[in-house]
Amino acid sequence: MNTPTVLAIGSCLLAVCLIVGLLFGCVQKAPPELLESVEALDQELVQIRAAEYAPEEYARFVGHWVTVKGRLLSEEEIRWPWEPNPLATELGAVQEEGEQAVTIARETREEERLDAQQRLDWLERRLARFAGQIEKTGGRVVLERKPVETELLLRQGRSYYKQGLYARSLDAVEQASRLMEDQTTILTTALARYADDERVAVWRRMVQRTVRWSAAHHAAAIVITKADRRLTLYRDGRAVVSYPIRLGYNGVLQKRYRGDGATPEGSYRIIEQQDRGETRFYRALVLDYPNVEDRRRYSQDLQSGAIPAGAAIREQIEIHGVGDGLMTQTLGCIMLRDQHIDQLFERIAIGTPVTIVGALHVENKVAVALAGLEEEPEEQNAEVPEETEEPVEQG
Amino acid sequence: MTKQLTVALVSLSFVVIGCTKVPTEKIASAEQAISEARAAGAPSYLGERYAKLEGMLTTAKEQIATQEAKFVFLRDYSQAEELLEAIQMDAARVTSEATRMREDAKAAALQAQQAAQASVKATQELLDQALAGGNRAALVAQKVDADGLTASLAQVQAALDSGDYQAAQVKAGAIAQKSEALAVEVRTALSAAVAAKGQKRITTKPK
Repeated sequence: MNTPTVLAIGSCLLAVCLIVGLLFGCVQKAPPELLESVEALDQELVQIRAAEYAPEEYARFVGHWVTVKGRLLSEEEIRWPWEPNPLATELGAVQEEGEQAVTIARETREEERLDAQQRLDWLERRLARFAGQIEKTGGRVVLERKPVETELLLRQGRSYYKQGLYARSLDAVEQASRLMEDQTTILTTALARYADDERVAVWRRMVQRTVRWSAAHHAAAIVITKADRRLTLYRDGRAVVSYPIRLGYNGVLQKRYRGDGATPEGSYRIIEQQDRGETRFYRALVLDYPNVEDRRRYSQDLQSGAIPAGAAIREQIEIHGVGDGLMTQTLGCIMLRDQHIDQLFERIAIGTPVTIVGALHVENKVAVALAGLEEEPEEQNAEVPEETEEPVEQG
Repeated sequence: MTKQLTVALVSLSFVVIGCTKVPTEKIASAEQAISEARAAGAPSYLGERYAKLEGMLTTAKEQIATQEAKFVFLRDYSQAEELLEAIQMDAARVTSEATRMREDAKAAALQAQQAAQASVKATQELLDQALAGGNRAALVAQKVDADGLTASLAQVQAALDSGDYQAAQVKAGAIAQKSEALAVEVRTALSAAVAAKGQKRITTKPK
């Protein structure tokens, strides 16, 4: 082989190598680390539910990413080594869009999480306080199923929150909040009498009349104040002793018909004394309920449809002991501890007047508890001392 | 010769134009696949993957629009067609996965519903026993709550009927929790009553 032939072959080989080199060198390839970074972003966006928290940004990322991916899979564009890699540029843009979507989705999600957490915590605290206030008003049963429905909604809100479903959590909290407002309205309407100056003044006059009667007749008289849950025995116009009492399960309401769980308000007299063995409640003092005023109101309510059509009025209302019952509440009677009814039993007689009123002051326990229904849970209120279960000797 | 060349060119044009037709059938198939994924609950169970399918469809349509704007001989729908085919394949996977997830969610919701029903029934029975024992006045609030729980079970069924299995499960869970708490409350009240009666018997025992 002579020199020119060798040179020719060498030149050809060099040219082929150059062409092959150029071809392979110019095949468009995305930088693997950039590709990995975008794929990782794609995964992250799925995990943080970007479609929900950054829909526009995520849609932009997806659209762009899909296009670039298509080109990566199908195209092998040729470029000169000195030209910039357009796929790398595009991928860089996709990465930027992905990072932006991640940032916005994370921020929005965190904002929603914080909002849900704060509102849930606040409403749970408020409900705890609210339930306490409702117990103080004694109007729990008036609200029927609303308290349990509120609690269920808050439990659902907490459950959604734990699952990271903040929008649903907030929705449940919102519904619970509305139910609490409804309850406030119902109770405020049902128990408005306790915060009404004129009504309280009427109750006060009723009590004054009873006390004057006791003084004038040198006899015993009983005054029952529902808001205070106290029974006070008067003799010769002076308070002698006061006992804690329990009322009906709807005791704070004015009694309207049999079985409503309310304790009547009005002026009554003891018409019968039932001793041990004559009542299941240890000892009892039967009142002359219903009186004329109760019957008038009953007829009016029946006519106006304010009470059920078949509702009856007759119901035995007593002041009685505990006996075999649970010492919590009654069906409408006034309940004392057995030792207290023993003391009372010896001090009264058939015909002793019994005046039952809602409250003697506008600042009574029911009115104060009603006002507290709308208070913010953060506010620390002065502790209300527990009711004493012991009799208080008067004067 | 000129006539033959013209015929050849016209034929070639038909071939070229025929090859660059808008892939309407593939678009329709891709849209149908996405619609099936939506019906399977993909937006709820695989939100991001469903959003991606929609994004892919938008991109494919944009590519088609870009090609349509070009001179007829320069149009190339192959990239859009590949994308539309990919949509169909991905959508089928999403549909299958979403269907499985929905079935799992339904099973979990039904299980939670049964647990809630059993719990409420047990609490109601406990309350009925307590009320039969003459404790009506003391347990009125608890009875109202138990009736509220029974009524709330209908909401679980409504959520199940509407296919919102997540809500059904959460509602049922809340009912079961509250029912158990209520049962504890009733038992505590009954124990207190029994203790009070026992105490009374001791204190009133004749000396």
